[in-house]
Amino acid sequence: MSDNKDQAKTNIEETKPKKVKVKRGKLEAREARMGYFFVLPWIIGTLIFVLIPLGQSFYYMWYNIRITPLGTKFTWVGTGNFTQIWLENPEFPQQLVTYIWQTIVEVPIIVVFALIIAMMLNGKIKLKGFFRLIFFLPVIIVSGPVMNMLVSEGASTIPAMNTQAVINALDTFLPTKMANSVGELFGNMIMVLWYSGVQILIFLSALQKVDPSLYEAAKMDGGSGWECFWKITLPTIKNFILLNAVYTVIFLSSNEQNELITMIKNAMFSGTKEKGYGYASAMAWMYSIVVTLIVLLFFLLLGNKRDQYDRLVSKRKRMLKREERLARKIERRGARNVKKLERARRSHRYKTYDGNGDY
Amino acid sequence: MKKNKIVAALLTVAMVASVLTGCGSSGSGSGNSSGATGEDGVTTDNITLTYWHYEDETTVGLMAEAFMKKYPNIKVECKQIADMSTDLSAAAAAGTFPDVFSGTDSDTALANMYWMDITEYVENDPDMDNMMVSIKNYGIGKFDTDRWFGLPTWYQPSAIFIDRNVITKLNLEMPRTDWTWAEMIQLIKDATVDDRSGMKYYGLGFYNRLDSLYGIAACATAERAIKGEFGFDGTDFDLSYWAIGEQEFGDLQTGGYVAPKQNTQQMEDWSGDWGTWFGATGHVAVFSEGFWSYQNLWGTDGYQEQYGLDIVPYVTPNVVDEKDHNIIANMYIGGVSTSCKHPYEAYLLLKFMGIGTEGWKARLDIYEDESITNASGVALKHANMPVPMTLDTEVWDRYKAMFPTDEEHKKYWDDYFASITRPVPYGWYSIAGYWNFCDQYFNKIGIHDLVDAGTAKAADYAAEATEQANYYHAEAMLSYFGPSGYDVLSEEEIAQYQAVVDSFGS
Repeated sequence: MSDNKDQAKTNIEETKPKKVKVKRGKLEAREARMGYFFVLPWIIGTLIFVLIPLGQSFYYMWYNIRITPLGTKFTWVGTGNFTQIWLENPEFPQQLVTYIWQTIVEVPIIVVFALIIAMMLNGKIKLKGFFRLIFFLPVIIVSGPVMNMLVSEGASTIPAMNTQAVINALDTFLPTKMANSVGELFGNMIMVLWYSGVQILIFLSALQKVDPSLYEAAKMDGGSGWECFWKITLPTIKNFILLNAVYTVIFLSSNEQNELITMIKNAMFSGTKEKGYGYASAMAWMYSIVVTLIVLLFFLLLGNKRDQYDRLVSKRKRMLKREERLARKIERRGARNVKKLERARRSHRYKTYDGNGDY
Repeated sequence: MKKNKIVAALLTVAMVASVLTGCGSSGSGSGNSSGATGEDGVTTDNITLTYWHYEDETTVGLMAEAFMKKYPNIKVECKQIADMSTDLSAAAAAGTFPDVFSGTDSDTALANMYWMDITEYVENDPDMDNMMVSIKNYGIGKFDTDRWFGLPTWYQPSAIFIDRNVITKLNLEMPRTDWTWAEMIQLIKDATVDDRSGMKYYGLGFYNRLDSLYGIAACATAERAIKGEFGFDGTDFDLSYWAIGEQEFGDLQTGGYVAPKQNTQQMEDWSGDWGTWFGATGHVAVFSEGFWSYQNLWGTDGYQEQYGLDIVPYVTPNVVDEKDHNIIANMYIGGVSTSCKHPYEAYLLLKFMGIGTEGWKARLDIYEDESITNASGVALKHANMPVPMTLDTEVWDRYKAMFPTDEEHKKYWDDYFASITRPVPYGWYSIAGYWNFCDQYFNKIGIHDLVDAGTAKAADYAAEATEQANYYHAEAMLSYFGPSGYDVLSEEEIAQYQAVVDSFGS
């Protein structure tokens, strides 16, 4: 019996594919080292400027921190910073709600606008490079203080546009908060367009990766441009839509025009005793949780859903597994029944027609 | 290919190195110090002091040179502050805190213990005997304790200006220079003329709201010894005084006695130009302006001739006919930082840059030479020149000589200068907790807008605002000067402030 078992074990081991260890070549090893070497600044940068400050701010948010010329004073306040923000700073919750509304409304508009412009720039037009430059230029020029100056001069609005009329019109069928957010969007229309530069670039690269033969085949089958867009372009670049949506959320959440960022910065450098680094850290963590939730929302809305074929394959696989389980179950049950019958036969509980117990 | 890799590798190493070496710090008050001092008590070592300020950079640079000339072993490095709390907290975190700085928001400095106790220096300084009365008597820089933490470094009084040409055109009489509040309001009303035949004449154009001026001019000293904004008497606020001025000013605005502000539709409708400043229209009689408006604008060559103006200063009036009364003022407070390694030398620098007679003589040398200009090409006396805080006669004679000296105008200026020797700073300079009160309560309720628009009465807010102001002040006093702060309050004072905090909201 044991011999049989050993034999079976050997057979199983023989059927298993053996892992072949291939020694890495010198060139490959050197390339890998160089790769790590080149990403080293990023790793160090992330460690120093992201992970360490992240950990620090997590630590800070439980303290009241005063930075005096003689050193930094930490006073444990536990959740005191949070209660103070929510109970004594009415601006923060208000701004947070406004930010959520604005982001949810602005992100789709920016992404759709970027997609439209990218498709136009991807077409056969003259001075294609020049137009691409035009749409990307604001990203380079309009950053930080320049943007602040332009906004303070009213450059982000279209003077001829009556924002109040838009808000009044929207107010008739939308909740007031939403109507205001959409209205403000009209008020800042130029800014929304300026925010689309990077997204246009991402969409352009995505569009250029779509296999032209797909369009060719579709056209041969009589597909219109509209149908090609919905059946070929959009499914092919859907991952980039998510990427752009996430990028836009992060950009809107962290640019200098964001009131919450200004509020956190002001709290950080505030001279008042109850504010400071601890208070600002608590604000920043709450804000980052909200930003993460918004990113999650867009991920759920735009995340990569499987198509019909994938679903059918999974269904078939599930069915096969179920059948396998059932077959194993029947097999086990059969084996048990055989043993039961054997035991019954041995105990002479069953008699055959000739009385000897054999069937 | 190999060459490219080497270059790329070197660049990467350089980037990493720059990242790693980016964070450094240096101490303050640097220099080799052996502790040796001269006969005057000043170190004989070569030291460096850093001075941060809000003034014109060229002026301060020249002042620093004058100081270094007097103390050749002390090097002074100056920096203009862009934003006080941001700049100073960043400097504190980086270990590059200045030895001396002059600021506009005392709450920030006190909450973070930026300033050291300089009582010993101030009280033994003979120069202090010659200071303006209110600085000494009210202890501007003591923050209602018995210790000195700062000294005024820059002073400009509030000022009322009158355009004599408008008064003449409207057939009105110039008021007496020691006028009262009621006479000023009456003049504003009388000088508002809209005969529909041309551009309307307004009685008042303002930069400083009248309620700010009224808060300390609201009553006789015998009634309440007001030594700060909002009826502050050194211990408590009483905003019922402020409410009267606020309401009066609001009523003037809704009554059409106040000229439109620059860059408004109302200004465009009135003057035909959105960007016009009311002070350049020749159609406003009384101005509640910053003192700087004279030297920076009206006093510049040809300005008044160009716009047909004849501007003279008037003292900010008091409600009662008291000759000597306090006036509200912009007054930066400076101090020696707690991290300074050479406090006495830093104190001398602080005094030289601000309040001291010697420093003022050096300042006047700079201002009198109009060939010296700042980065904008402006002669330094036209770049926010402050007012002396010393009562030294020589300084004042030289100072007055920089203003109109013709017989017709001199008497106005002499009377004005005689009336500004009792300055009281705006609350954020000198009252603990004032900034927090404004930031977290007063500015948030938007009372100015409500009263100006005629939708609320200031008096309805006075009681609650008084309670809030007293609470913020008491809390700040305990926090800044109690055991967790400088620890200079007596047990009685602590109990007194604690009682205010405990009774708040009950």
